[in-house]
Amino acid sequence: MAVDTTRNTQIYTTWGRKTAKPVKPDVAGKMISKAKRPLMVVGSGIVGDETLTEKTIIIAKKGIPVAATGHSMIVFNGMDVDAKYINVHALAHYLGDAKWKGLDNQGPYDTIFFLGHKKYYLEQVLSGLKNFTDLKTISIERHFMQNATLSFGNLRTEVHLEALDEFIENL
Amino acid sequence: MSDIPTGSISIEDLENVQITIGKVVGAIEKKASDEGIEVGPTPKPGISTLRDWDYKLLSRYQPVYTPVCDQCCYCTFGKCDLSGNKEGACGINMEGHQAREFMLRVITGAAAHAGHGRHLLHHLIHLHGRDHPIDVGPSNLLAPNIQAVTGIKPETIGDLEEVMDYVEEQLTQLLATVHAGQEGSAMDFESKALHGGMLDHVGMEVSDIVQISCMGMPKSDPEAPLAEIGMGCIDSTKPVLLVIGHNVAGVTNIIDYLNDHDLSDKVELAGLCCTAIDMTRYQMDKGGKPYAKIVGSLAKELKMIRSGVPDVIVVDEQCVRADVLAESKKLSIPVITTNEKIMYGLPNRTNSSPESIIEDLSSGREAGALILDYDLLAEVSTELTIKMSKIRDEMGIKALPNEEELREIAARCVQCGACEMDCPDNLPIMAAMKAGAEGDFTKFEYLHDKCIACGRCDQACPKEIPILNIMEKASQKLIREEKGYMRAGRGQISDPEIREEGVNLVFGTTPGIIAMVGCSNYPDGTKDLYTVADEMLKRNYIVLMSGCSAMDLGMYKDEYGQTLYEKYPSKFLAGNLINVGSCVSNAHITGAAIKVAAIFAQRQVAGNYEEIADYITNRIGAVGVAWGAYSQKASSIATGCNRLGIPVVVGPHGSKYRKALIGKPYDEDTWKVYDARDGSEMPIPPSPEFLLTTADTIEELLPMLAKNCIRPSDGNLGRMIKLTHYIEMSQKYLGQMPDDWYKFVRGETDLPIAKREELLKILEKDYGWEIDWKRKKIISGPAMKLDISSQPTNVKRLCKEGC
Ligand code: SF4
Ligand code: SF4
Ligand code: SF4
Repeated sequence: MAVDTTRNTQIYTTWGRKTAKPVKPDVAGKMISKAKRPLMVVGSGIVGDETLTEKTIIIAKKGIPVAATGHSMIVFNGMDVDAKYINVHALAHYLGDAKWKGLDNQGPYDTIFFLGHKKYYLEQVLSGLKNFTDLKTISIERHFMQNATLSFGNLRTEVHLEALDEFIENL
Repeated sequence: MSDIPTGSISIEDLENVQITIGKVVGAIEKKASDEGIEVGPTPKPGISTLRDWDYKLLSRYQPVYTPVCDQCCYCTFGKCDLSGNKEGACGINMEGHQAREFMLRVITGAAAHAGHGRHLLHHLIHLHGRDHPIDVGPSNLLAPNIQAVTGIKPETIGDLEEVMDYVEEQLTQLLATVHAGQEGSAMDFESKALHGGMLDHVGMEVSDIVQISCMGMPKSDPEAPLAEIGMGCIDSTKPVLLVIGHNVAGVTNIIDYLNDHDLSDKVELAGLCCTAIDMTRYQMDKGGKPYAKIVGSLAKELKMIRSGVPDVIVVDEQCVRADVLAESKKLSIPVITTNEKIMYGLPNRTNSSPESIIEDLSSGREAGALILDYDLLAEVSTELTIKMSKIRDEMGIKALPNEEELREIAARCVQCGACEMDCPDNLPIMAAMKAGAEGDFTKFEYLHDKCIACGRCDQACPKEIPILNIMEKASQKLIREEKGYMRAGRGQISDPEIREEGVNLVFGTTPGIIAMVGCSNYPDGTKDLYTVADEMLKRNYIVLMSGCSAMDLGMYKDEYGQTLYEKYPSKFLAGNLINVGSCVSNAHITGAAIKVAAIFAQRQVAGNYEEIADYITNRIGAVGVAWGAYSQKASSIATGCNRLGIPVVVGPHGSKYRKALIGKPYDEDTWKVYDARDGSEMPIPPSPEFLLTTADTIEELLPMLAKNCIRPSDGNLGRMIKLTHYIEMSQKYLGQMPDDWYKFVRGETDLPIAKREELLKILEKDYGWEIDWKRKKIISGPAMKLDISSQPTNVKRLCKEGC
């Protein structure tokens, strides 16, 4: 059965009137498959979490380039995926620069999605992208990220993992 | 320039008439020339004086804004929605407003330090007189920040008044620009923020050198004593007097009172935050054992109050929770406020008799008192503590739930998730509650060190579960074991130390200075600090500590039961660990960098800020780390470092400062400087890559630190050492060779010896560099040459004539 990731969009404080739309896993998955230049931005939160790591690697193995932020690079070494270390704050800076050619020199990205980040940290990164770029950002985190363009709602860990499975099926 | 002297003069025939001339245009230059000191081009710079330097920094390190709020509500035109970089009703756009917000944080922090400095200066001039000499240790350059910025060479504490006048005037001018309808350019707000950060280091320096000079604090002393630290070292069987804040002025009277009345072994004096650090420095310049104990940083404040252990609480200023009075009232702990910055609505009892105050507070008629006279404070707080200890014992004050109650309370949890959502770190409270309801409280123990004791979860819970209290009760065993040592703050780095170590820093054979400063808003507990400092110390970096970080570092021990302060020596040498002191002692960190330029490189220091900053930018491999930065002061400290070209990494919560300054290594045009020998352009390596940025975890931070200590001036041995650490730490913490290591190679001698052959092969194969394999030499490939006599500068006017 499809997982409904859109029900709980509660927030602690607000940034303003521009807020993420809740998104379902299948829709998010399809949007990423349709994107010309997607980028998965992974945070250190996946390190030490076997299930999350496994799912992240499955996504990367679909041929999606990975920005391995924090120390998440440690799980991608030797995995035969297209992952490169970059600091997430620097990445937010470069993503807004038309002259940046991407992590692989292949040109700019159009759809960016996020997994494995600290909630408050990613909200700040997304706030920068929301206010100063036209990029489409999708959060497939366990928490509702109000500064993304689209985001899963707040989910319990088990439901989040199911949602990721459904997301992967639709890639 | 005027010939009128400053000071007091009498005019003949006008008996009893005295005219005091405070300031005369050109007075700094005149005084300096009388004393044979040269003053550079920018004594007491105004807002625009160093703007060109700022713009140079900002062209390489561009502002990256991450708003915390998309709206502006500064004036009644608004509030305005600025999302998408729109303009508000006054015409300011999101970038401009974010830069304004950041600058406001910086000058707020600077004002907190400057206000503290002014208060100390008033207080200590009142006690010791204007002519009391400045004595900070075996140095001629007594006040590097003050001299570099203002051109003033202070000798007595009275000389510092003019310095404070300058700082206050500039801060007022900066604050004025926050008003609606003033500055519209984000870049100029950034330049103003850098100005505010620079002023902060001047204000901090005034605060610390005046207290070192007058309060008998250690003077550049590598053997400064060890002080006990941790909630576990507080002897709660004695009456406990807890002081909280940053300004030690009143506490010194308490210490004197305890000593004079033979009470020092009868009353437990404990401190939180920088007041705690500074009270362990008080009268320690001749050695001895600090009598006061340190509880810890701000993150221990609510925990300590809720423990019910303090019998009286005295607060002064900065980083004191706004609810100290409300929380203390619940546990019958009287609160005394001692500084106009925090008065909590309490009645001013400065002119009351000690007996009447003690009577009103001990009977519970009043919850607390404002006392601005420190002799009165000393008597009242001490005697009240002794009295309250008995009263509170008899009342049978019970602060935390008992073991049986714990389980019952945890069972009330309905797993609604409100606490986790409101927790700044989204800590897994629900799972801990679930286990707790079944009698397993180990999950709360796990949360204890990660929790910053903000109390937001308590506020959120619909079942009114006192979550923080449960955590504290469940962690009693851990808390009892929280005992360690912190080396009391030693103050400045002395001139002889700079003379000895300067050359190693500039050529890189000492791989760098890591300055761990700031507060306790860590992303993953306090232990991370220990891990970072230990790793860098083992690798021979100089590690400088200050403020809450200096305290938290002392809480952990190695497998032999030693804290890092016991394990590592504290000279200004490679592999040494130094605690400079409290928050205001941060000025000694920038001061050390200025001293390298002034003493080792003989650059003129007075009123010559740009040249000094340029020297530091290109030559001194220092990186600041404010891993738990939370306060406005942390942003001003960092920004003051930034204006000197010293990069700072903040923890992930630091992203809420709204802005970073990050360079683009792929934009080669920005990584060029002049060679001062002939004015020609020379490429430099992309390091430091940023002036202000965040990192996600310490595993990301560690290789960043190594890389960002690389400087254009590194000799080949220095570069080899720095590169070795960068490569090794990337491999250790990220599991890979860094992608950009080759960018730092100028020739084969820059390569780590043990890996030279292997790396040459990679350079040939992956990067197409030409290698002479017979001589194991690089023939072509590097983007820059190793030229040890080059003189990198960002400032054209500093190049030799004719260029
Ligand atoms: S200061 Fe400008 S942006 Fe802010 S509320 Fe007033 S008009 Fe709007
Ligand atoms: S007190 Fe601790 S657990 Fe509660 S919200 Fe604050 S950090 Fe989280
Ligand atoms: S807010 Fe209270 S009831 Fe809700 S999960 Fe947290 S502890 Fe339980």
